[in-house]
Amino acid sequence: MSDVSPKTQFDLADRRLSGTSGIDTEELTGRTFPYQFDQSLVDDIDLVAATPGEDLNWLEDIHLMTEDGVPAVFDRYTNAFLKIHFEIPAGREDEYARKVLIKHLQEGNSYGIWLKHQHAKFPQPELGSWLQGSATVGEDWSPPRLEGWQPPVGH
Amino acid sequence: MAPVTQRGRYDNRGLAEPDTVAPETAVVSGHTATLDAADLTTRQVNLELRRLLYSCGVTEVTLQNPGARHSLAVGLLLRCRITIEGSLGYFGCGLIDGPEIHITGRVGWSVAENMMSGVIVIDKNAGSLTGAALRGGDLVVRGHVGARTGIDQKGGTIIVGGNAGSMTGFMMQRGRQILCGDVGHGMGDSMYDGAIYVAGKVASLGIDCVEAELVAEDEEFLDRKFKSYRLDRPDTFRKFVCGKKLWNYDNLEPNERKLVL
Repeated sequence: MSDVSPKTQFDLADRRLSGTSGIDTEELTGRTFPYQFDQSLVDDIDLVAATPGEDLNWLEDIHLMTEDGVPAVFDRYTNAFLKIHFEIPAGREDEYARKVLIKHLQEGNSYGIWLKHQHAKFPQPELGSWLQGSATVGEDWSPPRLEGWQPPVGH
Repeated sequence: MAPVTQRGRYDNRGLAEPDTVAPETAVVSGHTATLDAADLTTRQVNLELRRLLYSCGVTEVTLQNPGARHSLAVGLLLRCRITIEGSLGYFGCGLIDGPEIHITGRVGWSVAENMMSGVIVIDKNAGSLTGAALRGGDLVVRGHVGARTGIDQKGGTIIVGGNAGSMTGFMMQRGRQILCGDVGHGMGDSMYDGAIYVAGKVASLGIDCVEAELVAEDEEFLDRKFKSYRLDRPDTFRKFVCGKKLWNYDNLEPNERKLVL
C-alpha cells in the first residue's frame, strides 16, 4: 500500500481532461476542487441548515455512489459525478457525499450552474437555495443570433 | 354582459401578458410582505412575488385571495416562506427550488410539478397528477389526492393524509410516497424504483409493483416524516416497490440510468 497521502497523490495544477467518455465533473470543468481531497473542508457543513424544512429535504435522495471505481456523488444540477478522493469514515458514506455536494454548490462550482450566466432568460439568484444573497443572473439575456440567418417570412 | 377589461397586451391566445411588470402593490414590512391577488392577473402575481423575494430582501410572503388561479407561485428558486390563504388551480407551485409553501385551501392538477427542493403543505385536497415528476423535497397533502399521484416521480417524498386515486406512482423512478388512506387500481404501475408506503387498502397493484418487507430503516423514515409534519401515524403501513421484472435499462444503456438520478 502506498504511503502517499491522498493530498499529494494529485498535482491539482496539472489536472487535465482525460478524454474518456465519462461524465464526471473533472472532465466537464477541467478542474478539481480542494474539498474533493480534504475531509476537514466539509466537516463543518450543517446539512439541515443547508436545506429547506426540518430535515434533509432533497438530500434524502443523495447517496454515495461510484464512478470509474472511485467514490462519487451525483450533482443533479450538472448531471455529472463529483469524485471524492479522501478516505470516508465507515458508516458515514452518505453524510460525506451530501456534505461534499453542498460545499460544491455553495461555492458556485457546479458546471451546470455556470451556464446560467449565459443562458438564464429571467432574473434569478445564481446559487439558488444554497447561498443567501447570491448574485442575480439573467437580467440582460438576449436571444442568440446565428450569423447570416434570416427569420422566415411571416415571423 | 359587460366587456372584460384587459390590463395589458395579451398574446393571440389571450393568455400571456408579455409587457406586464410587477405591480408593486404588496405591503412590505421588514422581511415580510402581504400581497393581495384579488385584482391582479396571474403574471402580475408571479412578477410581484419575484420582485419581493429576489430584489426587496423579503423572505416571508402571505398571498391573499389567490382565487384558484392556475400557475401561481411557480419558478421560485430560493429559500423563502410563502403562505397562500385560499385555493390554487392547476400547476400551482411548479418548478420551484427551495421555498417552503403552506396552502390553506385546495389545489388542482399537478401541484408541485418538477419541484427540485422545498416543502409544500396543502391543508385540503389535491387533484390528479399531484407531484408529477417531483425531483426532491417534501409534498404534504392533508386531504385526498386524485389519479396518477407522483407520476414519473424522480425523488422527494409525497405524503397524503387521505386516499389516493388510480395509477398512483405510475412510472415512478425514485423517491417515496406515504399514503395514509386507501389507494385505487394500478398502484405503482411500471415503477422503476422508489417506495410506496400504504396504510389503507390497495384496490390492485400495477404491472411490476410488488409488496416488500418493512424494515427498521423504513420505520425510522416514517416516524421522522410524521413527526416533522405533526401528523398522526397509522400503524398499518405496508411497503411496495418495483418487482424488477421490467428492469432491462442497465443492459441496454448504463449511462441512461444516470439520467434519472
